[in-house]
Amino acid sequence: MKTQRWERTKEILEQALRLPPDERQAYLDAACGPDGELRSEVESLIASHEAAGSQFLAATAPEVLELTFPISSPQSRLNQVIGHYRLVEEIGRGGMGQVWLAEQTAPVRRQVALKLIRAGMFDDEMLKRFQLERQSLAIMDHPAIAKVFDAGATPDGQPYFVMEYVPGVPITDYCDQKRLKIGDRLELFIKVCEAVQHAHQKAIIHRDLKPANILVQEVDGKPVPRIIDFGLAKATSPQIAGESLYTHLGSFVGTPGYMSPEQCDQTALDVDTRSDVYSLGVVLYVLLTGCLPFQAKLGKEQPLDEMLRRVREEDPPRPSTKVSTDHETSSATAEARGTEPKQLVSLLRGDLDWLTMKALEKDRSRRYGTASELAADIARHLNHEPVGARPASVSYRLAKYMRRHRVGVAVAAGLVFLLAGFAVMQAVQLRRITRERDRADRIAEFMTGIFKVSDPSERVGSTVSAREVLDKAAKDIDTGLAKDPELQARMMHVMGRAYMNLGLYPRAQSLFERGIQLGSSAVGQTNRETLSTRQDLGWILFQQGHLAEAESSQRSLLEVQRRALGPDDVDTLGTIGNLATTLAERGNLAEAEKLDREVLEKQKRILGPEAFYTLATMDNLAIILAEQGRLTEAEKLEQETLEIQFRVFGLENLGTINSMINLADFERDLGRDEDAKKLFRQALDVEGRLLGPDQTETAETRYDLACILARDGQTDEALSLLRQAIDHGLPPRIDLNIEKESYFHSLHENPRFTALVAYAKERAAGQKAN
Amino acid sequence: MEQKAPSEVTQLLQGWRDGDSRALDALLPLVYKELHRLAHFQLRRERPDHTLQSAALVHEAYLRLVGISTPQWESRTHFFAIAAQLMRQILVDYARRHRAAKRGASVCKVSLQDVLVARQTDVDVIALDDALQALAKIDARQSRVVELRFFAGLSLDEISEALEIGPATVQRDWTAARAWLYRELARI
Repeated sequence: MKTQRWERTKEILEQALRLPPDERQAYLDAACGPDGELRSEVESLIASHEAAGSQFLAATAPEVLELTFPISSPQSRLNQVIGHYRLVEEIGRGGMGQVWLAEQTAPVRRQVALKLIRAGMFDDEMLKRFQLERQSLAIMDHPAIAKVFDAGATPDGQPYFVMEYVPGVPITDYCDQKRLKIGDRLELFIKVCEAVQHAHQKAIIHRDLKPANILVQEVDGKPVPRIIDFGLAKATSPQIAGESLYTHLGSFVGTPGYMSPEQCDQTALDVDTRSDVYSLGVVLYVLLTGCLPFQAKLGKEQPLDEMLRRVREEDPPRPSTKVSTDHETSSATAEARGTEPKQLVSLLRGDLDWLTMKALEKDRSRRYGTASELAADIARHLNHEPVGARPASVSYRLAKYMRRHRVGVAVAAGLVFLLAGFAVMQAVQLRRITRERDRADRIAEFMTGIFKVSDPSERVGSTVSAREVLDKAAKDIDTGLAKDPELQARMMHVMGRAYMNLGLYPRAQSLFERGIQLGSSAVGQTNRETLSTRQDLGWILFQQGHLAEAESSQRSLLEVQRRALGPDDVDTLGTIGNLATTLAERGNLAEAEKLDREVLEKQKRILGPEAFYTLATMDNLAIILAEQGRLTEAEKLEQETLEIQFRVFGLENLGTINSMINLADFERDLGRDEDAKKLFRQALDVEGRLLGPDQTETAETRYDLACILARDGQTDEALSLLRQAIDHGLPPRIDLNIEKESYFHSLHENPRFTALVAYAKERAAGQKAN
Repeated sequence: MEQKAPSEVTQLLQGWRDGDSRALDALLPLVYKELHRLAHFQLRRERPDHTLQSAALVHEAYLRLVGISTPQWESRTHFFAIAAQLMRQILVDYARRHRAAKRGASVCKVSLQDVLVARQTDVDVIALDDALQALAKIDARQSRVVELRFFAGLSLDEISEALEIGPATVQRDWTAARAWLYRELARI
């Protein structure tokens, strides 16, 4: 029977639509079987379901008719008297209803704007809500916010609101008509932000900020913005759908394009003041570029669903990009702003791009928290001060960088937090002591200074430059903190560590040395901070291959630490471990092994068996075992270490990679070359992502892989990896020894290899000279 | 909300009987609203406080549009069947009359934003009415769901209550009907 068949069709359709698109085929195969007719009917319905989108039949017939053929025609309303108001002229019309210029007769005689809300089904509820809302609206008192006077219903039941009449022009139209320059537009926009802030302080959200609701009037020849319809969106949208702009019938009330992502999301129920901040961002975007962030191409329709999806999911182009890529309109846009397209692009690039995009962040927690913060950044831009020059902004940019390079920048981020955290802690502690106020202020000043990096327009939008921040700080440290050697010494240590983390050893070394010198005289030689700087100095000497210097530095430090801090102190253990590594590198394997075992035993007890430093010592010990030819012992210990590393820190972690490389070495030496290559390649891949190609560690891994490939006769790849390693960060101590490397013996007759050896030596000599 | 004076309604009804088309324009929204109000009172199982006037209005409308006297409501479902049908008649009639009137009339200037809002309401009510008649031949209940949803403005939950069928069935009917009607309208 036909009806039964249709019931079955409906069921299959419903089931299919519940499945993700890529699983539907399989379901239909099963559900329809050989019935081709049934299947093509369901497929056709699925296609029309997709094409219909969410908005088809979302509005009810009365709503449709109200929009297409308004039930109350304007003519019939002219001169009509509603309450104390006589309708004089229709001045606007839209999805919400009509706006009339009206004359109030009592108690005062004045012109007002009367907004007739289009007849809907929930007028009673709407009025009740509005009565509640108007009490909060009454407390708003700001020259740039139009007042709401009254609300009621016409005799035939249509609700209306009465507000202050603002004979103004939408802000975007005004700016274009007057050909206002970018600077003037921004000043006007700041006033808008201030008004919005006022309302937000009274806990009133506009919810529908757009140029049509931000009118500009001239008062004494100066443009004055007035915001209309404040709070009306809440009063007129049904409560059932929470604060969302979807009515409970699923029809859509609001202004797509100016709505925040959270307003575009049917499931998101709460909307707060940051939603208005987003809308302000869109208005700013239009003021700057003449386009909406998600404007469809000229002459192309953009379905509502599509537009809402883009607002929720896509990042809009930056204002400068928008203008520079929109060739058809850019000259008109520039002309309306009293400039040329090229100049407009360069005006927008930098601060204005950045602050607009910050207002338009999808995640509201990353937006400006308030309208006045947005205004403050614009004001800073107008005063040529760096925008968002606070640590928060730097960390924001770091966050963006981190999303691309995940853990690698953890080092750089750590540096900024290290600096900022250090400074803040110091300042807080010092603030408590009145006589130390000066010092706290010096820190604050210094910190503010180093975050003001170079030319703002170069800085914004480019990748982070922790390095830039650091270089600036290192340069300022002498002048900025000259009066405070203790602080200076600490900052030198902190920054030296940062350089060390970035692999910039010579810079780190010189900062450590100066820090130790200053610290020793300011706070003493046995001060923990001074000792800690000395430990880092020893390590950096080792890292650069100055082994004898490193050993004597570490031995003398160890003596002081044992005395000053005790033999089981974590710092003392750290120095013993470092010394063991230096000794091993110098060939004193027996003492190295003894020291590392001592450290490992204490670390397991004090720090725990999975602690970072404990694992590092296990790595080191495994190497020392291997270097004594005890490869099987080494492999076993390293596998244990790698297993813990991977479990605790994951793959993308430098410690894990370290263990992996060590294990690769052991596998190679055990003759399991294929296992070794696999491990090296994987490590290289992660290092390339975490550290970038120019890091010492990455270069060394390349070198290791080149070695084993050369031994196995894969000469071409070996040579090209070797060349890359030399070009990208291979340390001089290795450069100078390539010729002696036994893995390369087979290459000694190869002219390419000979040339590479010469090249490496030359490079190493050049680096030493620097 | 303020209730319209009975005399005014009577006047409009009188005007309508005398062939004054503007009186019908004014009456249709009123009748529709009254029906809607009645529907909601029915759903809330309350007695409307102005039954008499509503009854008169609906009775007149019914007589005029459907050509027979208002039947006695046998049950709630019966009431909804009749009311929704009447509401549909009113709205389609309204659309027909205005479609004719709108030709050549000046179009109000609307902004881009308004156009965007309006686009999703861009449904030809008359064509939809025709398509719905075709759907009724395949599945009468499904067409009633659409009638109550689109013409009477009830929510799916309310429809479930009005038709005394389960919410899952209403949802299934509605989903399939939307797809079916969209395809039907796209063919035209």
